[in-house]
Amino acid sequence: MLLALVTGALALVATQQTDTSVAVSRGQRLEVNAFGGGITVSAWNRNAVRVEANTSGPDRVEISSTATTVSVRTQGRHGPPSEIELKISAPPWMALSLAGVHTNVKVQGCQAPVSVETVEGEVEVGGGNGLVSLRSVQGSVSLQGAKGRISVNSVNEDVEVTKSTGDIMAETVNGEITLDLVDATTVDASTVNGDISYNGPVRNGGRYSFTTHNGDITLTVADGTNASVAVSTFNGEFESEFPVPLSGMRKGKGFNFTLGTGSAQVTLESFQGTIQLIRPGSERDRERERERHHRDEDH
Amino acid sequence: MSDQWMNRLSEYLDGELTDGERIALEAHLPGCAECSRVLDDLRQVVARARMLENEAPDHDLWPGIAQRIGATVGETRTVDLGSRRAAPRWSFSLPQLAAAGIALVTLSGGAVWLLRSPEQQNLAPPSAIGPSASPRAINATVNPRGNATQSYAAAVADLERVLASGRGQLDTTTIRVIEQNLAAIDRAIAQAQRALDADPANLYLNTHLAETMRRKLDLLRQAAALVPVT
Repeated sequence: MLLALVTGALALVATQQTDTSVAVSRGQRLEVNAFGGGITVSAWNRNAVRVEANTSGPDRVEISSTATTVSVRTQGRHGPPSEIELKISAPPWMALSLAGVHTNVKVQGCQAPVSVETVEGEVEVGGGNGLVSLRSVQGSVSLQGAKGRISVNSVNEDVEVTKSTGDIMAETVNGEITLDLVDATTVDASTVNGDISYNGPVRNGGRYSFTTHNGDITLTVADGTNASVAVSTFNGEFESEFPVPLSGMRKGKGFNFTLGTGSAQVTLESFQGTIQLIRPGSERDRERERERHHRDEDH
Repeated sequence: MSDQWMNRLSEYLDGELTDGERIALEAHLPGCAECSRVLDDLRQVVARARMLENEAPDHDLWPGIAQRIGATVGETRTVDLGSRRAAPRWSFSLPQLAAAGIALVTLSGGAVWLLRSPEQQNLAPPSAIGPSASPRAINATVNPRGNATQSYAAAVADLERVLASGRGQLDTTTIRVIEQNLAAIDRAIAQAQRALDADPANLYLNTHLAETMRRKLDLLRQAAALVPVT
């Protein structure tokens, strides 16, 4: 009996539950800094921020609010805190600035600017409006349903943007870049070791740049597209599912061709991969559709 | 980047901003020394690029190319070299690209990073062992007008020193990942360099090499930013 009481008391000391709500007003932004664990932010229809977490030992969650900012920060008494899972509810209009180290970050339903930076963790964001900037060194970065100026960046993993509109900058070193069902007038996608896939309209006057060193580039080009296309490779190939003015190339050289009025500028560069143009609805496109369904199911 | 306009200076120079954006940027410039400085550098790069002459090839290569790829000479209309010359993508030599890249990296990125306030530091990407207490001074400044190759090497060496000095304070997995990715970039640089040695006039290879070198600087800068200041 005594042992059970002592154990229970120790458990109370060892584990603390945080469940705090802070009223917020439009114009305030949410800043979260968590050393390790996870940050999950979900939109809800209340003008308040609710923070839920379980902490142990001397670790704690500090929540403060000013006229402009609601700040949530994990703290350890001596050095970094252990891994803490933060579950946060926030109104969709609230801009988010989320940072971590060994931290996975997940956002759902935000309709405001979003900034996420982590070192070792996955970033998965649904929503975002305005400036949406997502970065991870060791984790993959995934964005869906955003609108605005989009910047997604990883070093060692894949980067994916789906069902989003706006200007897109996507970059990684050792990973693939997938831009699927996007509608952008400016795209800059660049990787060193990885494939690049773009599925979306090529808008008149737009600029689209896809660059990889060791990887293939697959670009969906709808009938009626108006684009000036510049293709460059050193040791790669060029394939097209539809006739283009030039159908071959010399090793180490590039070539240009024009589709329709040539309004958009498209640059395709792969040092030693295959550059492929496909039509919507083609077998290759259907294969990509199946891959997308698999990904959605995984999520 | 310090503010919303830094990324748009190139568009401003190219006349691609809307009237509203242009007016807003011009109102912003007098109060922002950093944007003004970078804009001046961009102007210098463009001015230098305009001084380059388009050299015509010794002989027309197209008939040979057309024969190899099975196209007819009549299809030459599809390779619109004239329009490329009339409205070129800015094409620089490797040293120019490296100098421009280094200048932009160090001025727009490094300076911002070095000059971040402690408050901004707290909001910035954290280090692998905790948030930085204060900005780290890195001697990675280069003179873009000097020897670009030496400047590039110096900038890389400076950032590598920072990374090496902070190696013990970073997570070992993070260090390993960064080193693996730097090695991947180095391999790409070596491959591009070998290709360029065989075909020095290849514009794509020049551009690709310079871009890959810039990528290495960028990753080093990103990695060095993870090193906490002691």
